[in-house]
Amino acid sequence: MIWSKAETLPRLELEKLQTSRLKETIARVYGVVPFYQQKFKEMGIVPEDIKSIKDITKLPFTRKQDLRDNYPFGMFAVNQDAVVRIHSSSGTTGKPTVVGYTKSDMDVWNEVMARVFTMSGINSEDTVHNAYGYGLFTGGLGVHNGAETVGATVVPSSGGFTSRQLLLMKDFNSTVLTSTPSFALHMAETAKKEGYDIKKDFKLKCGIFGAEPTSVGLKEEVSRVWGIDYYEIYGLSEIIGPGVSNSCCESRDLHIFEDHFYPEIVDSKTGEVLPYGEKGELVITTLTKQALPIIRYRTGDITSLDLTPCKCGRTHVRMKSVMGRVDDMLIVNGVNIFPSQVEHVLSNISDITLNYQIIANKKGYLDSLEIMVEVTEEMPMDSIGALEKIQKNIQSELLNNLYINAKIRLVEPRSIERSMGKAIRVIDKRSL
Amino acid sequence: MHTIKQLSVFIENKTGELSDFTHVLSTNDISIKSILLADSTDFGLVRTIVDNPEKAKAILEDNGFSVRFTDVFGVKIDDVVGSFDKVITALSKSNINIQYTYSFYEFDIGIFIFSVEKDKFNEAVKSLLDAKLEVVSASHFYK
Repeated sequence: MIWSKAETLPRLELEKLQTSRLKETIARVYGVVPFYQQKFKEMGIVPEDIKSIKDITKLPFTRKQDLRDNYPFGMFAVNQDAVVRIHSSSGTTGKPTVVGYTKSDMDVWNEVMARVFTMSGINSEDTVHNAYGYGLFTGGLGVHNGAETVGATVVPSSGGFTSRQLLLMKDFNSTVLTSTPSFALHMAETAKKEGYDIKKDFKLKCGIFGAEPTSVGLKEEVSRVWGIDYYEIYGLSEIIGPGVSNSCCESRDLHIFEDHFYPEIVDSKTGEVLPYGEKGELVITTLTKQALPIIRYRTGDITSLDLTPCKCGRTHVRMKSVMGRVDDMLIVNGVNIFPSQVEHVLSNISDITLNYQIIANKKGYLDSLEIMVEVTEEMPMDSIGALEKIQKNIQSELLNNLYINAKIRLVEPRSIERSMGKAIRVIDKRSL
Repeated sequence: MHTIKQLSVFIENKTGELSDFTHVLSTNDISIKSILLADSTDFGLVRTIVDNPEKAKAILEDNGFSVRFTDVFGVKIDDVVGSFDKVITALSKSNINIQYTYSFYEFDIGIFIFSVEKDKFNEAVKSLLDAKLEVVSASHFYK
C-alpha cells in the first residue's frame, strides 16, 4: 500500500514540485533568517539565482555547528507564536541543538510517518508497541504520531523496563514493534530467559527499526529471532526527526520522501556533489519546513543514492542503509555522542585530568560505554571512598548532560594507549 | 619525628598489578616495612611504609604508578589484653577521628599505624604521649 500520491509522482513532475518548493524556502530564509541572509550575501547569491532544483548546488551548506552557534532559536524562520513543538538533542559545549515545528510542520511529519507505516504494511488493524524513547528526542513522539495517523493503536512504552514491555506486548497482542534494532534483540533475549515462546506468545508481524547503524547480519538476526519482517527507518531531528526515509517491502534501501526532503551526496572533504551511485556524505535540504527550514544540511552520514525504479511503484530515490560517519560521532543505544562532548563534561569535573579514553562495546545485544580516566597524584589517592565518589560524580555528570550511562573506570597514569604520543580517545569495539 | 610518610599507591584490579609494584621496589633495594591493601570493585589502594619513601615514590612514578604521601603515625603496644583499647581510648577522649588503622608485628610487640585528619595529627600524637603510650619514631623504619 502507498499512503500518498506524492510518492509515485513521475520524476519530471516531482522535480517541478521540488523547484517551486525550493524557491519558496529560499525566499523565506533569505527574508527572515539572518544566518542565511549573511551566507547568501557572502556567496553573492540572491533568491532569483535559483531557477530550478538543479541550482541547489549554488547554495551554502548548513552544519550542526551553525545550529549551535544560533542557539536556541536563531535559525527559526517563524515567531514563537507559530511554533507548536520543540525538540532538542544534547550539545557539544553544554548547549543543545534545538529544533522547532509549526502546525504545518507537524502535519508534514505526521504525513511522512504515515507513509513509513503504510510502506511497512501497517494500518488501523495494527497495534504498535513503540519502544523508541519519548521526550526531547524526536524518536518516540515522531513514530507515535505516524502510527496514530494511520489509525493504528499505539502503546507508548518508551525505552527500558524490558520485562514489563514484554508482558504488555504479549497481553496487548501488539503486531508491530518500533525500537532500535539492538533493543529488539535485547527484548528477544530477555523473552527467552523469562520463558516466553517467542513465536507463540507474541503476535508481531513486523518492526520498524532505526536510530543506529546496523549491519545486514544484525537485521537478519532481528528478523529471525522474532519471526518478523524488518523495515528500516532513517531520520534526524535537524531535518524533521524519524521519517526522512524508510525501506519498502521490495528493497532493503530506503525511499527518501523527496517532495519534502531534497537529498544530495557530496564529497565530505571538498563539498563537491557526487553522481548517483557514488558513496559520500548525505546532504539534505528541507523543502516544506516552516519553523526551521534548513538548506543543504551536512548530515555526517555516509551513504549512496539509487534512482533505478523500485518494484513497489514509488518513484522516490532510495538511499543505502547508512554505512558510517564522516566525523567521530558515536551512536550508543540510539543516542548520538561526540567525543568532544564527553571531554567537555570531564573538563568541568574537578580533581580529574583529561587523560581519558572512550570504549564502545557490545554487552549482549546492547551497546555499552566505558570511559577510562587516568588517576593523578592530585586525586584523593588515600581514600577508596573518595575515589569512588569521583567515579560516581563522573557517571552522573555524563548522564545529566549527555543522557548516556557510562561505566567509569579509574586507571593508572599513562595506561591509556597512545599512538605516536597522542592518546587514542575512542575505541569502538562493536563490529558492524 | 613521629610523622611517617606512608605511600598511597593506586593500582588497577587486574592480575599482575601488585607484583609489578613489589618488583619495582625490590629491584631498587627498597624494603617494605608494612603493607595494607584496600580494594573496591575495580581498583585497589596500596598503603605501604618503606625504608626510603622519597626514593620509592620517585622510582614508582618513573614506572607509571600514581603515588601520594600520607602522614601517619605508629603506636607500639604489648601483646596483652587491653593494650589496643588504651590507644583508642586516648584518641577518642581527645575527639580524634580515626580514618583508618592497620597493624603489624615486630617480634612480640605490635605496631598500629593510624591515619587521622590532617589538622588533628599533632593533637593525636600528643594525646597518646600524654597517656604514656609509645609512639614510634619515623626513623624506626627508615634506613
